[in-house]
Amino acid sequence: MRLGALLAAVCLVVAGPSRADEAFVTNQSSDDLSVIDLASGKTLATIPIGGRPAGVAVSKDGARVYVTSPEGKALNVVDAAARQVVAKIDVGGGPLGVAAHPSGSLVYVADWYAHKIHVVDPVARKVTGSIEVGLSPSGLAVTPDGKLLLSADRDSNEVSIVDVASAKRVAQLRVGDRPFGVTIDAKGERAYTANVATNDVSVIDIAARKVVGSVKVGDRPYAVALAGGRGFVTDQYQEQVSVFDLSSLKPVATIPVGEYPEGIEASRDGRFVYVSNWFSNTLSEIDVATLKVTREMTTGNGPRSFGSFIRVTP
Amino acid sequence: MKLQLLAAAALVLGAAGAADAHGPTRQKTEQKVEINASPDKVWKVVGNWLDMSWLPPVEKTEGDAAAEKGAKRKITLKGGAIVEEELNQYAADKMMYSYRITNVDVKVLPVSNYSSKIIVKGEGDKTTVTWDGAFYRGFPNNDPPPELSDEAALKAVSGLYRAGLDNLKKKVEGGS
Repeated sequence: MRLGALLAAVCLVVAGPSRADEAFVTNQSSDDLSVIDLASGKTLATIPIGGRPAGVAVSKDGARVYVTSPEGKALNVVDAAARQVVAKIDVGGGPLGVAAHPSGSLVYVADWYAHKIHVVDPVARKVTGSIEVGLSPSGLAVTPDGKLLLSADRDSNEVSIVDVASAKRVAQLRVGDRPFGVTIDAKGERAYTANVATNDVSVIDIAARKVVGSVKVGDRPYAVALAGGRGFVTDQYQEQVSVFDLSSLKPVATIPVGEYPEGIEASRDGRFVYVSNWFSNTLSEIDVATLKVTREMTTGNGPRSFGSFIRVTP
Repeated sequence: MKLQLLAAAALVLGAAGAADAHGPTRQKTEQKVEINASPDKVWKVVGNWLDMSWLPPVEKTEGDAAAEKGAKRKITLKGGAIVEEELNQYAADKMMYSYRITNVDVKVLPVSNYSSKIIVKGEGDKTTVTWDGAFYRGFPNNDPPPELSDEAALKAVSGLYRAGLDNLKKKVEGGS
């Protein structure tokens, strides 16, 4: 038993450094992707992308990172471990939001101009279908069970709920004005949209297909992260993150971050929230327990990280 | 009458779309100038929210005297074009304010969803003024014409800031 414990300790030590999360940050102005080690805060690699990268989705197994190039009209498939673009799939239009199905077999790409979602087979490297949604779909998210896809249709002021199996929209929910990011909780029960024009977050009961609440936040909210029973919202025009309680839907705090905070996501263990500051070219780390910024890391120029950008290394 | 209603609805929808829709790539610019004067002296000029006469194309500035969040100003340019703006934040203690454009013709400034911040920092007789802008191109859809492209937007705003800051320096240092 003693030996067992010792071995386990050795394994932990060995596994320690390589198990740190990594952030894959889309830098729109410098046209590349920063890979940042969240343990050391150092940039491990900068991967050239092109086409003004914006949207990002890390596959569930952490092997692939999908990056949209809205000006290049393409979806880039990145080998996360090799730090290389392995495919550039032409999808046309204005690809922006992106989400990976938990099975790994499908990737959804929102077309900002064509008002539909492209269904992409990342292995065959081609578009296999499309799903009609509302106007200017932006943020996308798939429920953890892989059955439903949610799309924030910015210019319809709606969220579309799509049945993945039939690739058909099954519900349209009126949310606040100009919803941009959409985030689903770990149980797949609720979804949260950041509504750019009404400065609030809409709370959706996914099973009931109903908006069950809304929370006032700061100016021009971009996206929502969930950690420690709280919602964290980037307020682009206020250089801050608004925090609210997920049960009471009451405001808890505001945390000053960099200028034009945009993409935001919690670490898998829920201890930290990471924020891309588009104007400042930094990634802020927020301690979920103390609600304080603990670190500022340097990114490329114009980090947006719109989507899921944190990879848990295997 | 039905047709009229429809036309009116289309107009309203069209207007709302034009105001809010934008391209996929936000642009940014930052311009600075060093002025040989105290920060207080520079802020006296820059911080006067209702006098943009230091910016060369400006003819007159009118609006809400109380410089606070939500205050509005209307800037008339030489030649008659109008730019409407709204204060986002005004902090005299930090010598900064931020604002957004609520209405401008893309023929005047080829941008949309424009927001900006101007900040004065310095010590003794050396002051730096930093002017930051964030905006989308003037054309909200795919494949913009050259005059409404990302590059055109960036060039226009950077050029405007440069001209403004250089003139500000001249004005403050010249004592006029």
